[in-house]
Amino acid sequence: MRRERWSAAALALLALAYLLAARRYPLDTLATPGPGIVPLVAGVALLGVAISLFVKTGRVGAPAVSFGPPTSRAGLADPATTHETGVAPIRPTDPTPQRVRRSPIVLAVALVLYAALLPRLGFIASSFALVVIASRLMGASGWWRPAALAAGVAAIGYLLFARWLGVPLP
Amino acid sequence: MSELFVALTPANLLACFVGTVLGTIVGVLPGLGPAGAMALVLPLTIKLGPTAGLIMLAGIYYGAMYGGSTTSILINVPGEAASVVTTIDGYRLARKGRAGAALAVAAIASFVAGTFSVVALQLAAPMVARAALAFGPAEYFAFALLGLVLLANLTGGSRAKSLAMVLVGVMLSTVGMDPLGGTVRFTFDLAGAQAGLSFVAVTTGLFGVAEVLASMAEPVPAGAVPHVKFRELYPSREELRRSVPPMLRGTVLGFLVGLVPGPSATIASFVSYGVEKKVGKHRAELGTGAIEGVAGPEAANNAAAGGGMIPLLSLGLPFTPSTAVLLSGMMLMSVTPGPFLLRDHPSVFWGVIGSFYVGNVMLLLLNLPLVGVFARVATIPPRYLMPGVLVLCAVAAYSDNNNIFDVWVMVVAGIAGWAMRALDFGPAPLVLGLVLGPVLERSLLQALTIARGEISGLWASGPAAVMLAAAVVAFVAPGVAALVRRTATHRT
Repeated sequence: MRRERWSAAALALLALAYLLAARRYPLDTLATPGPGIVPLVAGVALLGVAISLFVKTGRVGAPAVSFGPPTSRAGLADPATTHETGVAPIRPTDPTPQRVRRSPIVLAVALVLYAALLPRLGFIASSFALVVIASRLMGASGWWRPAALAAGVAAIGYLLFARWLGVPLP
Repeated sequence: MSELFVALTPANLLACFVGTVLGTIVGVLPGLGPAGAMALVLPLTIKLGPTAGLIMLAGIYYGAMYGGSTTSILINVPGEAASVVTTIDGYRLARKGRAGAALAVAAIASFVAGTFSVVALQLAAPMVARAALAFGPAEYFAFALLGLVLLANLTGGSRAKSLAMVLVGVMLSTVGMDPLGGTVRFTFDLAGAQAGLSFVAVTTGLFGVAEVLASMAEPVPAGAVPHVKFRELYPSREELRRSVPPMLRGTVLGFLVGLVPGPSATIASFVSYGVEKKVGKHRAELGTGAIEGVAGPEAANNAAAGGGMIPLLSLGLPFTPSTAVLLSGMMLMSVTPGPFLLRDHPSVFWGVIGSFYVGNVMLLLLNLPLVGVFARVATIPPRYLMPGVLVLCAVAAYSDNNNIFDVWVMVVAGIAGWAMRALDFGPAPLVLGLVLGPVLERSLLQALTIARGEISGLWASGPAAVMLAAAVVAFVAPGVAALVRRTATHRT
């Protein structure tokens, strides 16, 4: 419940910051509408939705956040399975160890470093490092296999995109 | 119409083959969905040219629908959202030793529905396109608005959250040059931001990187895949007979649902299952491993995928993430989808439609014999696959504009998408807000200018008025329904 309220508050803040930044774009008149109109409408609408979310999640009996399986595999939320079909699909269960649960954060940091280092180290070196780190974080053991995998990914990526497709990779 | 045979040239057949194989693999793999995969191969398809490139992208879209069912049935892991329902009866059938029959019926249902929806698409898309020639800015604005409201209603989960994501998407679409006047907005003097946020970067972030991050905390599907022999693939005569009515019902339902904005393939599969539970002859067996529970939903999700192509090809408006990627692929190849597509690029239009026929046959021939191979792909440990996906995401994002800014956009979108998932905010409404935002803005401003500032100009024409009214009803109705329900429960 607290997470829900925080996310609603964050959305409201985002809307406010956006509206503040949008102030410098003129609205002009409705007959010659300026570049500020749509940002104003969108920002105000998001602020409204965020406030309603904030109020709703504060109510007693509001639905708690589910931390079960992700909303979807293809990025689309699955409609409430049990509700609509009356049958719950069987889901694999497997306890997640602590180390694995923390690793997405480490990988997120690695990705930020990747974007920062890409122009300096170049595609091959930074991609090699990213793949080694990512496969280690996902549970690959030893260093040989991750290194071989990383070399393969970097080489194929380079040959396919830089050589064949002519993408000017950094 | 003779351009339908464009799909049969060797290069296009190869593109179709590669697309359907890639799509099946993506459908089989939990994690990466069709939209993410299509965004990943965008740089490749540009090299192929418009017709072959789009045929390959469409092949991925269709192949994923096919492949998604395989792992649902064999290992109870839906490859993508549209085959979640198939796990219910499909996996139970597999445990009863009828995996082969379930797989065959799923493939046949997908083929029947896919072919039907292509025929319907072929007939309907030109008609809609011709009608849409009369559409002005006001009508486009009303239609895009209606689409986004329906999308927020139907995406599942909280409607307010979906609406918030649509709005965030529209807000992100205002970054960069504005669509009419050329004012540069919200770039904060960042190099590379003038061109706006790259759709490919946002999509690879939200559907690629975020999936990789989310999959790290998830349990890995167990390694044992039941071995299905080729001769076990024949369903019994009884099973086939029982599959036909749900297959036909699912096809028609799915196609109609596919026309509505939203995650139509997923919804269609649920609707079909619900209908079978109500009207099916063997409805009591559903949930215990009934073949109807595979035939109906699998037909429905494939038919919906075809239905979703109509607004894209005839109006240029995508309402699912996958068709949005197809749209951006077309834009990158300087093909503008919409009413003029048929007139300006007939070989692209008919070539893509023709490839759907070819793709359906290819998928049937490919999927039945190779089902075991594809099922084993699902058990490749993510640690060998996902790191490569990350690098592919970065290359796809970078190559959109050859710009490091887009890699940053992808990384931020990926991390944000991972957080959004944890908080139950879906990425699909955001992506569609981002794609339709400029359409909304341009058509709104143009309509206002044409009407000399009179807001009533937005609903001056009949079609625009009807669509705007429908949007208002769709926006208000769920709230009213909830209010009525609440007062009713208070009274009791």
